[in-house]
Amino acid sequence: MAKAVQLDTGKAPGAGANQKGGTTTKLKNLFSLLVCGSLLASTLAGCSGSSTAQNNTAASGGDDAVTIKVFSNLTDRTSGQGLIEQTIFDAYMAENPNVTIEVEALDDESYKTKFKAYATGGNMPDLVNIWCSPSFLDEVVAAGTLEPLNADDYADYGFTEGSLDGVTYDGQIYGLPRNTDVLGFYYNKDMFEANGVEVPTTWDELLEVAQVFQDAGISPISMDGQDKWPLAHFINCMIGTVKGADTYATMVNSVQNSDYSDPVWNDTISAAAEQASLLFQPGFETTDYATSLNLFVNGQSAMFFMGSWEMSMAPDFEVGYFTMPDFDGDGEGVIGAYNGGGYAVSFSSAVKEEAIALLNYMFEPENWSNLSWKNGVCMSAQDSTQYLTGNETALQNDIINALNNASGITGMTYNDLGDSAYKTLPEDSTAEVLSGMISVDDFFANLQNG
Amino acid sequence: MVGQEKKGFRISTLLLIVLAVIQLFPLIWLIDFSLVESDQLFTSGILVWPSPFRWVNYTRALFESNFLHYLFNSILINALAVILVVVFATMASFACTRMRWELSGFVSLLLMMGLMIPIHATLLPNYIIFSKIKILDTILALLIPYVAFSLPQGFFLTSSYMDSVPKELEEATVIDGCGVYRTLMIIVLPMMKASIATVSIMTYLNNWNEFVMAMTFLSSPDWKTLPFAVLEFTGQYSSDYAIQFAVMTLSALPAIVIYILLNKNITKGVAMGAVKG
Amino acid sequence: MHKLYSNKLVIFSLVLPGLLTFLIAILAPIVLSVYYSLTDYSGLGAANFTGLANYAALVQDEVFWRALLNSVLLALGFICIQHPIAVLVAWKLDRLQGKAEGLLRCIYFLPNVISVAVIAYLWKFIYNPNFGLLQKVLELFGYEGSFNALGSGTAIWAVLVVLVWHGFGWGMLIYYTGIKNIDQVVYEAAALDGATSSQTFFRITLPMMKPVIKYNVTLAIISALKQMETVYLLTNGGPGNETQFMATYLYKQASGSYKYGYGNAISVVFIVICLAATVLMNKLFAERKEAV
Repeated sequence: MAKAVQLDTGKAPGAGANQKGGTTTKLKNLFSLLVCGSLLASTLAGCSGSSTAQNNTAASGGDDAVTIKVFSNLTDRTSGQGLIEQTIFDAYMAENPNVTIEVEALDDESYKTKFKAYATGGNMPDLVNIWCSPSFLDEVVAAGTLEPLNADDYADYGFTEGSLDGVTYDGQIYGLPRNTDVLGFYYNKDMFEANGVEVPTTWDELLEVAQVFQDAGISPISMDGQDKWPLAHFINCMIGTVKGADTYATMVNSVQNSDYSDPVWNDTISAAAEQASLLFQPGFETTDYATSLNLFVNGQSAMFFMGSWEMSMAPDFEVGYFTMPDFDGDGEGVIGAYNGGGYAVSFSSAVKEEAIALLNYMFEPENWSNLSWKNGVCMSAQDSTQYLTGNETALQNDIINALNNASGITGMTYNDLGDSAYKTLPEDSTAEVLSGMISVDDFFANLQNG
Repeated sequence: MVGQEKKGFRISTLLLIVLAVIQLFPLIWLIDFSLVESDQLFTSGILVWPSPFRWVNYTRALFESNFLHYLFNSILINALAVILVVVFATMASFACTRMRWELSGFVSLLLMMGLMIPIHATLLPNYIIFSKIKILDTILALLIPYVAFSLPQGFFLTSSYMDSVPKELEEATVIDGCGVYRTLMIIVLPMMKASIATVSIMTYLNNWNEFVMAMTFLSSPDWKTLPFAVLEFTGQYSSDYAIQFAVMTLSALPAIVIYILLNKNITKGVAMGAVKG
Repeated sequence: MHKLYSNKLVIFSLVLPGLLTFLIAILAPIVLSVYYSLTDYSGLGAANFTGLANYAALVQDEVFWRALLNSVLLALGFICIQHPIAVLVAWKLDRLQGKAEGLLRCIYFLPNVISVAVIAYLWKFIYNPNFGLLQKVLELFGYEGSFNALGSGTAIWAVLVVLVWHGFGWGMLIYYTGIKNIDQVVYEAAALDGATSSQTFFRITLPMMKPVIKYNVTLAIISALKQMETVYLLTNGGPGNETQFMATYLYKQASGSYKYGYGNAISVVFIVICLAATVLMNKLFAERKEAV
């Protein structure tokens, strides 16, 4: 077993401290909760993949020089997840002097484009980032692009039950999930206080809060509308507060049968389309990820709708977090969460065994799981209760509490439930209906005909 | 009459200056906000006076990144492309304008076809071809298309210029027993200085800022070129606008310096391209 | 004529490098493109021959027509906005003389040498309705809302502005050298006849500039058709598909949706359109030349 990696940063909260705190039991609840929630995700339809499983024993101790090419979507290598990833790579290279790890990092959208180019050219880098959903994996797995992994290798890794479902095709796993992602609103506590508003618990309250900020000349919610998927997540979260435990089943049913007759669709889409200009910043439909984050961090908006992977943001005001306020006001519902990003090894890699060894090393619990949590970066998809420090930031605690107080999670969004060709349709349509380019009727016509 | 003319002249001069401001102001804005704190972009003024000047944005942009490496790549790849285009164009032009063979017209036409083919239409198949012949992520992946798509123009300019150069001298040397190659080197090339300058400049202008092929065909930082620095930095420093602005300024700088140095030649080059093209 | 001049081996060696790059980087991909355009290849796995299905789909694809329309719009923008200003500016610049002439010419051309990557990102910032330069300028004039130039309805115009701004210097420079080439004697004669400056412009400068204008117009149409990089980085075809151009669309189809075969069908049609446009322009202008 390799030593735990030390993160080389001063600013990370709680780095180095390792005592177990009172939040342990809460996190245990959280993980049992995730177990229930993710079971829903196991109904995923899978494509047949070439299953030539092989036993991969870690084999990087040889003397031959090995270069492992890594293709990552974490562009910022000096903070957040990128720093954790790089830190683990650096530690691995220090322990295995014969190994050189070359990282190519591109932002999400460029990453997806280049990934397809690699898949087409048959020259995929050795260790790659993936998204654990059909929209990313279906075609890739069917084409045999990814190397099947040996599930037994990860028996002791503490992956929460259900977290491997997204990467499982015909009982064979093709990758490992990186995180448990919770979708919600980061909010500027100082700004909320200065404007005398409280965290909204219902949709109507959210609209009232938005109006207060609009009147004060502040954009209420900063939204990354150019990438479109955050808008789909927003809708998904709204539906989660209505359909509760049935959310995922509703989505799957609608997508597979092109049937959007359940009134929840019309209710949520209509409301979001009607209120988008009240809720989001001007020009949200053309604002990219970085800009939407920067607007919030620089005090230009009161809230920021995004996943829990941004929990390491450190603006000069206090940040809180809440999940989607109850849309139908019945006090019940689930919160938006799923296993998003992850890693896989390329089938055509010439250094397969070494790449798998590196992947396994990354996900040894003391590494990714431990480092990402201790440094307030994100929640791994593994049981990391043992790494609770008691020094979690207020923001981290907000996110844990949001999970603990929820009765379940939504699972994947509707845009991720079909293959990649399908994905553009619901995403484009959602962006178009929320920015007022098409009517709600057109939206459903698009989805039904697609 | 004279007064009216003068007034008209003044108004038009004013308009010329307004236009110059429109052309220049976005760049001034860029430089301005590359010298301040990142969050000053959110203040209300159109321009801010940097106090103090945050040169650290530039030092970080320069040294915390691959900027200098990419600059070197850009210079190398472009220099090679220019040389190859000039050489290939001169060789082919000589063969097609001076020498006697049946297929001369057909080959000329083939070489000039490239003028009409949109470069981005070859992006998808070239990716597959380059991956099959294993030159993806090497300097060749950029060099081959850069040369191929600048050659038609280079060939066109060179051969039309060659037509206007007298043949007697070279014919004499060939008769003197010099081979075709030596004649080309010793007699023809020196006479072609003007067209070589034009071809070089046009090739440089075509390729220096090329971006999509660099993005598609390259993956490791080994051969990435300058336009890539901008993309990479916006990811790397996504929260720091001032540094992004500094990187954009730095990326623009080499081309601006080259332009100011070669101002006269570039003007001539563009003009000659137009007259001949 | 010396026999060396018809030595096949020498000729072959001279044209070989040029032909080879043409073959590898232009002809081979086109042939491959035609092949893939007849299949349902997704970029992964096997390719099945589907005949002209991709082309049939293309004809009915609204976005493709939109992309073509956008190219036409852009060409019109170049010809109707950029070029008249460029001709006038070139004319005025020529009469300015002295240091100002060189300086202004330099300033006008400057944006042209800057990488499209920089230009696109810069204008994205300028257009940002929350903190961009445009918004601040509008506020200066008392505008109270937020103007999202890249939003639905205005995006194509916003793209047009950037491209006109970026390419202005090039067009201007060509006109400028065209005007410089006009013999001063012609102007002197006109001045003796008492022609006003606008008369000189319309009766002498413009007619004598005809070949240059033709060249510039052809260039504008071709570059409008070929447009890709600025749009790709500025809007990536959005919002919706409002600013889609042929090159960005084929890229989106192949790299965004695993529709590699379809993307290649767009490539092929794209090439045919560019070839047709060039031939058409040449024909059109050649006939005119005979008529004149």
